[in-house]
Amino acid sequence: MFDQTKQITLVGTVKEFQWTNPHCWIQVLVPDPKDPQAAPVEWGVEMGAPVELMRKGWKPSSLNPGDKVTIIANPLRDGQPGGLVVSVTGPDGKIIGHPAAPGSRAP
Amino acid sequence: MRVRGALIAVFVLFGCALFTPAQNLNSKARVGAFAKLPDWSGMWEPDIFVGQADGQQFSEEALRKMKARAEALRPSFTPEYQTKYEQIRKSIEAAISADPLHPPATHQPLCGSPPFPATFTPGMFEWRVTPEETTFISTVGAVRHIYTDGRSHPPKDLLWPTLMGDSIAHWEGDTLVVDTIATKRRIYMGELTGFFMPMSDQLHFTERIRMVNHDAIQIDYTVEDPVALTKPIHTVMTQTRVTDFDRMLEEADCEENERDPVVNGRFTTVTH
Repeated sequence: MFDQTKQITLVGTVKEFQWTNPHCWIQVLVPDPKDPQAAPVEWGVEMGAPVELMRKGWKPSSLNPGDKVTIIANPLRDGQPGGLVVSVTGPDGKIIGHPAAPGSRAP
Repeated sequence: MRVRGALIAVFVLFGCALFTPAQNLNSKARVGAFAKLPDWSGMWEPDIFVGQADGQQFSEEALRKMKARAEALRPSFTPEYQTKYEQIRKSIEAAISADPLHPPATHQPLCGSPPFPATFTPGMFEWRVTPEETTFISTVGAVRHIYTDGRSHPPKDLLWPTLMGDSIAHWEGDTLVVDTIATKRRIYMGELTGFFMPMSDQLHFTERIRMVNHDAIQIDYTVEDPVALTKPIHTVMTQTRVTDFDRMLEEADCEENERDPVVNGRFTTVTH
């Protein structure tokens, strides 16, 4: 699914933070830096289950619609605007929760 | 007055008898039986994942341990089952080559409860030890009922392969010795091997489960199948006490927001 040899950086605005099973998702609107007038692209980035995220310091209220975020993610291999979250930096400029250890990947 | 008093006494006695749960009839004996059982309360997780797993990602250390365990567990198949295994492996490799972006869903568990034994998949667990049954409950949806009331396995005509099979057990001191049959005819080592291994209807598991110290439960795990294996598979796994979290939260509600639907037998991803 995800290319864990690559990382992309998404700078955008949270459309929705889905605190859901089996996994949480962040829907984020990402403008094209080369064409700021164009409609932003909606990306969906996947995280772990709520229980896993809670153990990593996340809460259901950690993100809200409109929050400006910077997300580092492993992109989907098929080119869709999606990825697997590596880290999320919130509106206050701090990384939310404890990100996965460097080098972490799926089996 | 004496008649009324007698009626009240009869009512109280009769009423008590009527509304006393049957279980209380032997409650003293049951409490005594509880007192002899080990205390496995608390929450647990596989030791190799402690602080190493984050959703779908695992640290390099966890991956290294998983690979080493997979090597140690590599089955030694009989010629017939080696052929079956090779056929499965080749078909999976061919399916992946045909569409690398959408891996086949036939060889991996889908979202939901992991199959037996479910004791070493990522997630948190609870053990409920009672005189009649020890129950294993996991956050990823697995529930195992391990009967310790002296029953036998059901007769063959009442058994069929199920996700958790049929488990009976007895206590040898503080060790729970579990005997499981009638699981699905395959073994799955979770992330250890990546896919199911074919097995026969002779598949049989023995687990010896013991709390080795306040923070560790050890499971000595043996897989036997005289038709599919030339020798048993054996390993020892440890569950570590969870100290950073105090609630069991379900995480296998796959109806809520499953974004990896299987389409034409292959995993896909829906980004929104």
